[in-house]
Amino acid sequence: MPPKDDPETAKLRKELEDLMNKIKEEQKKVADATMADACASVADAPRVRLVTRKMLKGHINKVNSVHYSGDNRHAVSGSLDGKLIIWDTWTGNKIQVIPLRSSWVMSVAFAPSGNFVACGGMDNMCTVYDVNNRDSTGAAKITRELLGYEGFLSSCRFLDDNILITGSGDQKITHWDLEKNVKIQDFVGHNGDVVSMSLSPDNNTYVTGSVDQSCKLWDARSPDCKQVFFGHTADVNSVCFHPSGQAFGTGSEDKSSRLYDLRSDQQVAQYAPPSGQSGFTSCALSSSGRFIMCGSDDNSIHIWDTLKVQHNGSLSGHENRITSLSMSSNGMALCSASWDNNVRVWG
Amino acid sequence: MVTMNAEKSGGRRRMDDGNPSGQSGSGPQGGGSGSSGNLRPPSVRVLGFATGVPSVAEAALAAAEAASPAAGHRPATLAQTSKEDNPNAAVYKKMEAIIERMQDENTGVPVKTVKSFMAKIPSVFTGADLIQWMMKNLDIDELSAYREDLYCLALSSQQRSNRLSLCPADEATHLACLMSSHGYLFPIDDHVLVVRNDNTFYRFQTPYFWPSNMWEPENTDYAVYLCKRTMQNKTRLELADYEAENLARLQKMFSRKWEFIFMQAEAQSKVDKRRDKLERKVLDSQERAFWDVHRPVPGCVNTTEINIKKICSNSTRLMATPAATPAHLISRQIQMLKQRLDRRNIKLSKVAESYISFFELYIEYDPFFTPPEVPNPWLSDNAEFWEYEKQVKDVSARRVKRWAFSLKELLADPAGREHFSKFLEKEFSGENLKFWEAVQNLKTLPQQEVPDEAKRMWDEFLGPDASIPINVDGKSFETTKKNVEENPDRWCYDEAAAHVYHLMKTDSYSRYVRSPMYTDFLNGSKKKTSVKGIRSIVSFSGRKEAGAT
Repeated sequence: MPPKDDPETAKLRKELEDLMNKIKEEQKKVADATMADACASVADAPRVRLVTRKMLKGHINKVNSVHYSGDNRHAVSGSLDGKLIIWDTWTGNKIQVIPLRSSWVMSVAFAPSGNFVACGGMDNMCTVYDVNNRDSTGAAKITRELLGYEGFLSSCRFLDDNILITGSGDQKITHWDLEKNVKIQDFVGHNGDVVSMSLSPDNNTYVTGSVDQSCKLWDARSPDCKQVFFGHTADVNSVCFHPSGQAFGTGSEDKSSRLYDLRSDQQVAQYAPPSGQSGFTSCALSSSGRFIMCGSDDNSIHIWDTLKVQHNGSLSGHENRITSLSMSSNGMALCSASWDNNVRVWG
Repeated sequence: MVTMNAEKSGGRRRMDDGNPSGQSGSGPQGGGSGSSGNLRPPSVRVLGFATGVPSVAEAALAAAEAASPAAGHRPATLAQTSKEDNPNAAVYKKMEAIIERMQDENTGVPVKTVKSFMAKIPSVFTGADLIQWMMKNLDIDELSAYREDLYCLALSSQQRSNRLSLCPADEATHLACLMSSHGYLFPIDDHVLVVRNDNTFYRFQTPYFWPSNMWEPENTDYAVYLCKRTMQNKTRLELADYEAENLARLQKMFSRKWEFIFMQAEAQSKVDKRRDKLERKVLDSQERAFWDVHRPVPGCVNTTEINIKKICSNSTRLMATPAATPAHLISRQIQMLKQRLDRRNIKLSKVAESYISFFELYIEYDPFFTPPEVPNPWLSDNAEFWEYEKQVKDVSARRVKRWAFSLKELLADPAGREHFSKFLEKEFSGENLKFWEAVQNLKTLPQQEVPDEAKRMWDEFLGPDASIPINVDGKSFETTKKNVEENPDRWCYDEAAAHVYHLMKTDSYSRYVRSPMYTDFLNGSKKKTSVKGIRSIVSFSGRKEAGAT
């Protein structure tokens, strides 16, 4: 039973509701066509033929996260076996194995420069390793341990070698200056855990997805929320920017994937799995933005044509839930991490 | 045939979690038979292979440590932080409260040492006794309430389907099963953790192994444990089939470290052998039950296996909801929504159009549609792709074409940047690009060099006697001046750089794209690289900035 509101609050609530309705109306006005209709003239996309090019074996427990470096070749994966592995995804070789202090890693990030990797999870902190520096035991050197979270670390991304943005289970978004080892700012971003984050191609903005079922667009330099996107009916597990920087795709627990547009300030397309039974844990977009790929808990990766809103196919091979996808920036290879202890490179 | 003599129940005292090392593991403890439940078995410890493959000396050291158990190895921070965070913590607390009552000396479940044939079975109780005790001591509402709580945990659907109303005996059995599935009590000779209302024997788990201690045993520990089991030449300790399989798998996995694991196992087994026989029995079974919880028999529910992200978020969501939204939060939301209403939004049809043009623009560069010029390294087993990306000479027409999409694309390509700067030099407007590059460079400098570099840049580009003066509008000039004087940080030039970028984009860049220098270069590169699949020249009119800004 929620506490009874005083008249002032009630009035505010009423106003809020009215505004919400007004916005919905406005959105309807703007939504003058469906995506599929508007793109009807576009030729059908060919069927995507991706096969596993490399099976990256080495983790001995669930792999929770994978992320490509900016060089399109190296990727880092983090697993519950307490290791980060840096892979050469082309040869399939392990470049480096980084033992972690805590095995509960939930998110990893590779700096675009390839110099640093960051990881964190249920240890409630974010650890940054310098890939090019080894300590006396031969493991990568810890350059920063970022503390102060009241919840698990769920997502992290490098803006560049100096600035790291993290989202965490305490609903906060934090910007770190790695050079100075100080928090630039932190602020409550969502009404629920921040689960996923994606940087825009120009690095000026980023979107976050949260268990509060919304996605938000942020300025990379200030704590102001620029836009809010509703629509999902369950946790938004993954967000991924469209390469044009004008839209982003999502993957959600509510068994749908959606495309939101920043310019029209709303959802423009919804992609549903053919079975209707697959919740999505991760998503990625192809370099022309034509395909959206979503890792699912039904062990496969579903692919849709974003424009014609058609299911293009699915990639199977993993033997357990897929936890994370990462597309190389040139669009040539897709990395997927799974609970089956493997990372696969699709090409 | 079976005689029972009542005695103190084992495993009653709750051990201080922080200091179990007070219990020395070398040598029998207490001397008495049966009062062994509260011993800390030395064999389970957490010592990760933090340093890769250890040297022999290190291994010996580690083995020595293993022999003299010290719990300090547990990652202290983790244990501390996650104990409260663990979503199961509340349920564990409840279960532990029941266990505490069950283990009460006078009113608890009768724990006995059973004599059967030649051997003695220490510190056990029967399933029937347990269920009877639960029915007597826990009222039915309480039972079902506990059951509801336990359902919050990830349990099998089969167990879920039993959710219909149950008679008290079933209810009690069910709760017992759930508690057993978390390893608080366990059947003495079965790997499957269930409780039956009959004369099978059960034992309490020692508090040290309770799941509330946030055990995250590693595979190495499991390997040591299994390895140790093979050393004890007893039928009761023989490995089950699945354990043997696991051992083989682990042995393969840790092949290089196996020597180390073997040494640890040997050391632990030595310590175990010095123990009193009955005590050892109890410890062996408790340890086995611990692993039955954490590495369950195939087909059993692993209660420690939960989607940690989801469980954690559920707990925080519960915390977040009860708080009512205060008025100022609402008004802030209203303000945001009002702003949102003011936004001019683009029609969906227009948006779709822009997607299409973006897609058309980039179709040549999406390997899903057009095979890349340099063979896809994953398809061709050829790594020349990465060299090609970096090279500045002999760029293909396809790559050059991309420069015309947007200034961003042009500057992203090292060859493009170089060509553009040549063009600007010819136009005598190279300073803009130089300034922009300097600003980008500033962002990658070490912190201590930033203020100096910012000052230097001021003198070079904006100051009164600037060597390469740039043109910025008055407003950004003032802001930048203030920034550099007061707070020369990484971003102090951002506004000026944005202005300069805009200038380049609207002025020099559009002229560059139309210039003969660019078209010549494009045509030249076309001749040089007669790559198959390149289409006719795309007309750049109108589409330049269509989707890519």
